[in-house]
Amino acid sequence: MNIKSNMSAIEKSGAEERSDELLQDILQALRQIVPLPLTVADPRAEDEEWQEEWGVLIGVTGDMYGRVVILGEGDVFGHLGETMFGMRLAGEMLHSFVGELANMVAGQAATLVAGRGCRIDITPPTVIAGRMHIYGLNNVVRMSVAFEGAGALQFIISRDTEGKV
Amino acid sequence: MATVLVVDDAAFMRMMVKSILQKGGHEVVGEAENGAVAVEKYAMLKPDLVTMDITMPVMEGIEAVRLIKAGHPDARIIMCSAMGQQGMIIQAIQAGAKDFIVKPFQEDRVIESVNKLLKAEGRPVP
Repeated sequence: MNIKSNMSAIEKSGAEERSDELLQDILQALRQIVPLPLTVADPRAEDEEWQEEWGVLIGVTGDMYGRVVILGEGDVFGHLGETMFGMRLAGEMLHSFVGELANMVAGQAATLVAGRGCRIDITPPTVIAGRMHIYGLNNVVRMSVAFEGAGALQFIISRDTEGKV
Repeated sequence: MATVLVVDDAAFMRMMVKSILQKGGHEVVGEAENGAVAVEKYAMLKPDLVTMDITMPVMEGIEAVRLIKAGHPDARIIMCSAMGQQGMIIQAIQAGAKDFIVKPFQEDRVIESVNKLLKAEGRPVP
Protein backbone atom coordinates (compact mmCIF):
# COMPACT_ATOMS: atom_id res chain seq x y z
CA MET A 1 0.00 0.00 0.00
CA ASN A 2 1.23 3.45 -0.85
CA ILE A 3 -0.02 6.50 1.02
CA LYS A 4 0.94 10.04 0.14
CA SER A 5 0.61 12.67 2.82
CA ASN A 6 0.88 16.38 2.18
CA MET A 7 2.25 17.58 5.50
CA SER A 8 5.85 18.64 5.11
CA ALA A 9 6.63 20.24 8.46
CA ILE A 10 5.51 20.04 12.05
CA GLU A 11 4.16 23.16 13.64
CA LYS A 12 2.79 22.22 17.02
CA SER A 13 -0.76 23.47 17.39
CA GLY A 14 -3.34 22.44 19.94
CA ALA A 15 -4.83 20.05 17.41
CA GLU A 16 -1.44 18.48 16.73
CA GLU A 17 -0.81 18.04 20.42
CA ARG A 18 -4.14 16.22 20.57
CA SER A 19 -2.98 14.05 17.67
CA ASP A 20 0.11 13.17 19.67
CA GLU A 21 -2.05 12.41 22.70
CA LEU A 22 -4.20 10.12 20.59
CA LEU A 23 -1.06 8.35 19.34
CA GLN A 24 -0.01 7.84 22.95
CA ASP A 25 -3.48 6.49 23.77
CA ILE A 26 -3.23 4.10 20.82
CA LEU A 27 0.14 2.96 22.11
CA GLN A 28 -1.26 2.34 25.57
CA ALA A 29 -4.21 0.49 24.01
CA LEU A 30 -1.80 -1.73 22.08
CA ARG A 31 0.08 -2.58 25.27
CA GLN A 32 -3.21 -3.60 26.89
CA ILE A 33 -4.48 -5.61 23.92
CA VAL A 34 -1.46 -7.34 22.33
CA PRO A 35 0.47 -9.66 24.68
CA LEU A 36 3.86 -9.04 23.06
CA PRO A 37 6.70 -6.66 24.03
CA LEU A 38 6.81 -3.73 21.63
CA THR A 39 9.15 -0.93 20.64
CA VAL A 40 8.13 2.37 19.11
CA ALA A 41 9.84 4.70 16.67
CA ASP A 42 9.34 8.36 17.55
CA PRO A 43 6.06 9.78 16.25
CA ARG A 44 6.68 12.23 13.45
CA ALA A 45 4.95 14.08 10.66
CA GLU A 46 6.51 13.91 7.26
CA ASP A 47 5.94 13.69 3.57
CA GLU A 48 6.44 10.00 2.96
CA GLU A 49 5.04 7.07 1.08
CA TRP A 50 4.31 3.78 2.80
CA GLN A 51 4.43 0.44 1.01
CA GLU A 52 2.48 -2.21 2.88
CA GLU A 53 0.37 -5.22 1.94
CA TRP A 54 -2.64 -4.68 4.22
CA GLY A 55 -4.33 -1.62 5.62
CA VAL A 56 -7.30 -0.74 7.77
CA LEU A 57 -8.91 2.66 8.19
CA ILE A 58 -11.17 3.83 11.01
CA GLY A 59 -12.88 7.22 11.16
CA VAL A 60 -12.86 9.28 14.36
CA THR A 61 -15.72 11.65 15.14
CA GLY A 62 -16.91 13.69 18.10
CA ASP A 63 -14.57 16.04 19.99
CA MET A 64 -11.77 14.87 17.66
CA TYR A 65 -12.23 14.44 13.94
CA GLY A 66 -10.00 12.48 11.62
CA ARG A 67 -8.88 9.04 10.56
CA VAL A 68 -6.66 6.32 12.00
CA VAL A 69 -4.87 4.03 9.54
CA ILE A 70 -2.94 0.89 10.42
CA LEU A 71 -0.65 -0.60 7.77
CA GLY A 72 1.36 -3.80 7.75
CA GLU A 73 2.27 -7.03 6.07
CA GLY A 74 -0.16 -9.95 6.21
CA ASP A 75 2.31 -12.09 8.13
CA VAL A 76 2.51 -9.48 10.91
CA PHE A 77 -1.27 -9.34 11.32
CA GLY A 78 -1.40 -13.14 11.14
CA HIS A 79 1.22 -13.49 13.87
CA LEU A 80 -0.66 -11.04 16.12
CA GLY A 81 -3.90 -12.97 15.56
CA GLU A 82 -2.22 -16.22 16.51
CA THR A 83 -0.68 -14.63 19.62
CA MET A 84 -3.93 -13.06 20.76
CA PHE A 85 -6.41 -15.80 19.90
CA GLY A 86 -4.36 -18.98 19.61
CA MET A 87 -5.03 -19.75 15.97
CA ARG A 88 -3.31 -19.05 12.67
CA LEU A 89 -5.65 -16.99 10.51
CA ALA A 90 -5.86 -16.90 6.72
CA GLY A 91 -8.21 -15.74 3.98
CA GLU A 92 -11.51 -14.21 5.06
CA MET A 93 -10.78 -14.68 8.76
CA LEU A 94 -7.46 -12.81 8.51
CA HIS A 95 -9.24 -10.02 6.64
CA SER A 96 -11.84 -9.88 9.39
CA PHE A 97 -9.21 -9.98 12.15
CA VAL A 98 -7.36 -6.99 10.66
CA GLY A 99 -10.56 -4.94 10.94
CA GLU A 100 -11.30 -6.22 14.42
CA LEU A 101 -7.76 -5.47 15.64
CA ALA A 102 -8.17 -1.86 14.49
CA ASN A 103 -11.61 -1.75 16.11
CA MET A 104 -10.21 -2.97 19.44
CA VAL A 105 -7.24 -0.59 19.37
CA ALA A 106 -9.31 2.46 18.40
CA GLY A 107 -12.08 1.50 20.82
CA GLN A 108 -9.67 1.12 23.71
CA ALA A 109 -7.97 4.41 22.75
CA ALA A 110 -11.41 6.08 22.72
CA THR A 111 -11.94 4.80 26.26
CA LEU A 112 -8.60 6.30 27.34
CA VAL A 113 -9.44 9.60 25.62
CA ALA A 114 -12.75 9.66 27.50
CA GLY A 115 -10.76 9.53 30.73
CA ARG A 116 -9.49 13.02 29.88
CA GLY A 117 -13.03 14.30 29.44
CA CYS A 118 -12.93 14.11 25.64
CA ARG A 119 -15.66 12.14 23.88
CA ILE A 120 -14.93 10.43 20.57
CA ASP A 121 -16.68 7.76 18.55
CA ILE A 122 -15.27 5.49 15.86
CA THR A 123 -16.65 4.15 12.58
CA PRO A 124 -16.64 0.51 11.52
CA PRO A 125 -13.25 -0.43 10.03
CA THR A 126 -12.54 -0.47 6.30
CA VAL A 127 -9.99 -3.15 5.44
CA ILE A 128 -7.85 -2.78 2.33
CA ALA A 129 -5.92 -5.76 0.96
CA GLY A 130 -3.28 -5.43 -1.75
CA ARG A 131 -0.79 -2.73 -2.58
CA MET A 132 -2.43 0.48 -3.71
CA HIS A 133 -2.27 4.25 -3.47
CA ILE A 134 -4.40 6.18 -0.97
CA TYR A 135 -4.78 9.92 -1.40
CA GLY A 136 -6.45 12.52 0.77
CA LEU A 137 -4.76 11.97 4.12
CA ASN A 138 -3.82 15.43 5.38
CA ASN A 139 -1.89 16.59 8.43
CA VAL A 140 -0.44 13.17 9.10
CA VAL A 141 1.37 12.01 12.23
CA ARG A 142 2.65 8.48 12.33
CA MET A 143 4.58 5.97 14.43
CA SER A 144 6.06 2.59 13.70
CA VAL A 145 5.43 -0.11 16.31
CA ALA A 146 7.52 -3.29 16.26
CA PHE A 147 6.09 -6.33 18.07
CA GLU A 148 8.71 -8.79 19.32
CA GLY A 149 8.83 -11.82 17.05
CA ALA A 150 6.01 -10.59 14.81
CA GLY A 151 7.22 -7.52 12.91
CA ALA A 152 6.14 -3.91 12.68
CA LEU A 153 2.91 -2.06 11.95
CA GLN A 154 2.58 1.60 10.94
CA PHE A 155 0.03 3.73 12.82
CA ILE A 156 -1.08 6.94 11.14
CA ILE A 157 -3.41 9.69 12.31
CA SER A 158 -4.83 12.11 9.76
CA ARG A 159 -6.50 15.29 10.99
CA ASP A 160 -9.34 16.19 8.65
CA THR A 161 -10.44 19.52 10.09
CA GLU A 162 -8.43 22.45 11.37
CA GLY A 163 -8.88 22.81 15.11
CA LYS A 164 -9.87 19.21 15.57
CA VAL A 165 -7.90 16.00 15.30
CA MET B 1 -27.89 -24.46 28.08
CA ALA B 2 -28.99 -21.27 26.32
CA THR B 3 -29.77 -20.55 22.69
CA VAL B 4 -27.79 -17.51 21.54
CA LEU B 5 -27.85 -15.01 18.67
CA VAL B 6 -24.33 -13.62 18.04
CA VAL B 7 -24.22 -10.11 16.54
CA ASP B 8 -20.94 -8.61 15.27
CA ASP B 9 -19.87 -7.14 11.94
CA ALA B 10 -16.57 -9.04 12.09
CA ALA B 11 -16.85 -12.67 10.93
CA PHE B 12 -13.72 -13.40 12.95
CA MET B 13 -15.30 -12.16 16.17
CA ARG B 14 -18.54 -14.07 15.51
CA MET B 15 -16.44 -17.21 15.08
CA MET B 16 -14.60 -16.56 18.36
CA VAL B 17 -17.76 -15.86 20.37
CA LYS B 18 -19.50 -18.89 18.85
CA SER B 19 -16.55 -21.12 19.76
CA ILE B 20 -16.50 -19.82 23.35
CA LEU B 21 -20.25 -20.30 23.79
CA GLN B 22 -20.21 -23.81 22.35
CA LYS B 23 -17.32 -24.78 24.63
CA GLY B 24 -19.43 -23.46 27.50
CA GLY B 25 -22.29 -25.79 26.58
CA HIS B 26 -24.52 -23.24 24.81
CA GLU B 27 -26.04 -23.34 21.32
CA VAL B 28 -25.56 -20.53 18.80
CA VAL B 29 -28.78 -20.53 16.80
CA GLY B 30 -28.00 -17.54 14.61
CA GLU B 31 -25.53 -14.85 13.61
CA ALA B 32 -26.03 -11.29 12.41
CA GLU B 33 -23.55 -8.84 10.88
CA ASN B 34 -25.35 -5.64 11.84
CA GLY B 35 -28.10 -4.34 14.10
CA ALA B 36 -30.84 -4.39 11.48
CA VAL B 37 -30.27 -8.06 10.70
CA ALA B 38 -30.14 -8.75 14.45
CA VAL B 39 -33.60 -7.23 14.99
CA GLU B 40 -35.03 -9.40 12.20
CA LYS B 41 -33.30 -12.57 13.38
CA TYR B 42 -34.30 -11.99 17.00
CA ALA B 43 -37.99 -11.92 16.03
CA MET B 44 -37.54 -15.05 13.93
CA LEU B 45 -35.36 -17.13 16.26
CA LYS B 46 -36.42 -15.92 19.74
CA PRO B 47 -33.06 -16.88 21.30
CA ASP B 48 -32.58 -17.07 25.06
CA LEU B 49 -29.99 -14.31 24.79
CA VAL B 50 -28.03 -12.12 22.42
CA THR B 51 -24.38 -11.00 22.33
CA MET B 52 -24.30 -7.57 20.68
CA ASP B 53 -21.43 -5.52 19.23
CA ILE B 54 -21.85 -1.72 19.15
CA THR B 55 -19.84 -0.27 16.24
CA MET B 56 -21.41 -1.82 13.15
CA PRO B 57 -22.50 -0.60 9.72
CA VAL B 58 -26.19 -0.15 8.76
CA MET B 59 -27.41 -0.10 12.37
CA GLU B 60 -25.21 0.15 15.46
CA GLY B 61 -25.73 -2.11 18.44
CA ILE B 62 -27.34 0.21 20.99
CA GLU B 63 -30.10 1.17 18.52
CA ALA B 64 -30.63 -2.54 17.84
CA VAL B 65 -30.97 -3.18 21.60
CA ARG B 66 -33.64 -0.46 21.83
CA LEU B 67 -35.60 -1.95 18.92
CA ILE B 68 -35.35 -5.52 20.20
CA LYS B 69 -36.38 -4.49 23.73
CA ALA B 70 -39.31 -2.44 22.36
CA GLY B 71 -40.76 -5.52 20.70
CA HIS B 72 -39.52 -8.08 23.23
CA PRO B 73 -39.18 -6.56 26.72
CA ASP B 74 -37.88 -9.85 28.15
CA ALA B 75 -34.94 -10.04 25.73
CA ARG B 76 -31.59 -10.71 27.41
CA ILE B 77 -28.75 -8.89 25.70
CA ILE B 78 -25.04 -8.79 26.56
CA MET B 79 -22.97 -6.08 24.88
CA CYS B 80 -19.55 -7.17 23.52
CA SER B 81 -17.75 -4.06 22.35
CA ALA B 82 -14.31 -2.49 22.02
CA MET B 83 -15.86 0.82 23.11
CA GLY B 84 -15.64 0.51 26.88
CA GLN B 85 -16.01 4.09 28.08
CA GLN B 86 -18.42 4.73 30.92
CA GLY B 87 -20.81 6.79 28.80
CA MET B 88 -21.18 3.97 26.29
CA ILE B 89 -21.83 1.41 29.04
CA ILE B 90 -24.50 3.63 30.59
CA GLN B 91 -26.19 4.11 27.20
CA ALA B 92 -26.23 0.36 26.63
CA ILE B 93 -27.65 -0.43 30.06
CA GLN B 94 -30.28 2.31 29.69
CA ALA B 95 -31.24 0.80 26.32
CA GLY B 96 -31.86 -2.51 28.09
CA ALA B 97 -28.60 -4.49 27.96
CA LYS B 98 -27.97 -6.75 30.95
CA ASP B 99 -24.16 -6.77 30.89
CA PHE B 100 -21.23 -5.21 29.06
CA ILE B 101 -18.06 -7.07 28.04
CA VAL B 102 -15.10 -5.12 26.65
CA LYS B 103 -13.10 -6.62 23.77
CA PRO B 104 -10.69 -8.30 23.70
CA PHE B 105 -12.30 -10.57 26.26
CA GLN B 106 -11.30 -13.77 28.03
CA GLU B 107 -13.38 -16.90 27.48
CA ASP B 108 -14.22 -17.07 31.17
CA ARG B 109 -15.66 -13.56 31.14
CA VAL B 110 -18.13 -14.44 28.36
CA ILE B 111 -19.27 -17.70 29.96
CA GLU B 112 -19.53 -16.04 33.38
CA SER B 113 -21.78 -13.33 31.97
CA VAL B 114 -24.07 -15.79 30.16
CA ASN B 115 -24.33 -18.15 33.12
CA LYS B 116 -24.97 -15.27 35.53
CA LEU B 117 -27.97 -14.22 33.47
CA LEU B 118 -29.30 -17.77 33.38
CA LYS B 119 -28.80 -18.27 37.14
CA ALA B 120 -30.56 -14.98 37.91
CA GLU B 121 -33.66 -16.43 36.31
CA GLY B 122 -33.33 -19.82 37.97
CA ARG B 123 -32.43 -21.55 34.73
CA PRO B 124 -30.03 -24.51 34.61
CA VAL B 125 -26.40 -23.72 33.83
CA PRO B 126 -24.30 -26.22 31.84
